[in-house]
Amino acid sequence: MSAQTIPQNKFLKFLTQNAVVIIFVIITAVAIPPSGLSLPYILQEVITRLGRNSFLVLALLLPIYAGMGLNFGMTLGAMAGQIGLIFAVNFGIANWQGLLFALLVGLPISVLLGYICGLVMNKAKGREMVTGYILAFFINGIYQFFVLYMLGSVIPIRNPAIVLSRGYGIRNTLNLESVRQSLDNILMLRVGGFAIPVVTFLIIALLCVFIVWFKKTKLGQDMRAVGQDMGVAEASGIPVEKTRIVAILISTVLACAGQIIFLQNMGNLATYNAHDQTGFFAVAAILVGGASVTRASIANVFIGVVLLHAMFIVSPLAGQKLFGSAMIGEYFRQFIGYGVIALSLVLYAYRTRKAAAEARLSLRGGTASANEASNGGNGGAK
Amino acid sequence: MSAAKARPAAPLKTVDAATRTRRLVIRGVLLALYLGLMVLMIFTGRRHTILIDNKDTTDGSYEAINGMEVSIDRQEPSEYWPGDRDKAIVQGQRHTIKVSVFDDGTEVAKSFTVPLWTDIVIISVPKMLKGIEPWVEPFTMAQQIEEAQSQPALEGMSYQSDGPAAPAAGEPGAPQPPSP
Repeated sequence: MSAQTIPQNKFLKFLTQNAVVIIFVIITAVAIPPSGLSLPYILQEVITRLGRNSFLVLALLLPIYAGMGLNFGMTLGAMAGQIGLIFAVNFGIANWQGLLFALLVGLPISVLLGYICGLVMNKAKGREMVTGYILAFFINGIYQFFVLYMLGSVIPIRNPAIVLSRGYGIRNTLNLESVRQSLDNILMLRVGGFAIPVVTFLIIALLCVFIVWFKKTKLGQDMRAVGQDMGVAEASGIPVEKTRIVAILISTVLACAGQIIFLQNMGNLATYNAHDQTGFFAVAAILVGGASVTRASIANVFIGVVLLHAMFIVSPLAGQKLFGSAMIGEYFRQFIGYGVIALSLVLYAYRTRKAAAEARLSLRGGTASANEASNGGNGGAK
Repeated sequence: MSAAKARPAAPLKTVDAATRTRRLVIRGVLLALYLGLMVLMIFTGRRHTILIDNKDTTDGSYEAINGMEVSIDRQEPSEYWPGDRDKAIVQGQRHTIKVSVFDDGTEVAKSFTVPLWTDIVIISVPKMLKGIEPWVEPFTMAQQIEEAQSQPALEGMSYQSDGPAAPAAGEPGAPQPPSP
């Protein structure tokens, strides 16, 4: 093997490992000039969206460490958070007290839902992502039933402004004016024309510290062991199923808090579909940040949120300027979101196959390049 | 036989009565703290609307103040003239109202409590200054509708046709049919 091929291979490896990030950086950089938006504006929007979304995306980390893939079941936690907010608005509890009340209401619901989700995922080992996705649809049905029929009929609602005109069920859109940006506005730092919600970022930083600390605990180490090999973990005395349930449970609880932080920043709640896209956008963000189904870090979360949302900010206007319709940009936003998830999953499958082929070859005493040459790059020896 | 099955079963953990009681007490205290925190959030976070009223009464026991400045807690003060009514939104139950009368420069500050589950209360400032109790009263939408309906109709206002009735055809003053 020549000296030139080694750096070439390294470069190719770097490209394949960071393909999604590179594609996103290029798309966003290309879309900025036609959007006509100034850099300070984009930066301010990115800061706002970092505060709004990072907590939700961080909620995905623990299930990845536990080898359960991307937790699409986080939607369950988001629903619990929304129920908490509905009760906070119902009782007229404002400001941060309203948010804390919503969290206190949502917490037991998210614990219960997280536990159920963990139990179901233990029955579907190896297919956690699709199971979580479908489970979210199922629990969504129960949520709709609860909000549309139970609230106002079985559970009394004292605020007539949030009830449908028929006397029961919650309105399509709730005005969260009483809690709107109450967390962000506790301490809003203004530096060089930028508004930075300090308390929100402090909470996100605390969660990061918690995750770093948690990874070093016995439970965190168990989670990583389970994530690497369930059989080996079981043989070494780690309660695999319990550890997996704990990972999903913590993720669901964090999603509950994350959705409350997200909605307080937005200032209104689309009662019946605000949670629909929660899991999808969080998953898209972490994948854009360079994470995969089995490997993720805190850095991936922040890189992903910045890149995905920078694209979301510029794409509608870029679409309007380039194609004469803002709808193109909106369409682009959806298309890119799903596209990124698909691309990441394909790349993950490709890498896994390649790694397996390399492992097989190394057992035979050969090299990966030799194997590719002999197989014509068709997936390795059988 | 698999390795997991070959392993001897772990001995059952026995918990003595004292430990069980201690656990129960700790869990009970935690649950009480959790519920207490929720109740605390309701008490400190609940919003109320306060209507500040400067109107005469129908029985003449008090009259509207001829110009004053009113502020609730640390909110911006507002000017009120006879017949004015405005609102302030507050959080929590205990509040202070400060009134500064323009005519004689009197300044009055009083504290009051809003009942927890009352959404709107009305404060009659003339009543408060006269020392007539209660000057803070719950206010409901039904009350507001009732109040609007009981407003006396303006003098000279008629709900029938304006002006004198038109003379019937044939009577003196009746409009003449147009000539062909």
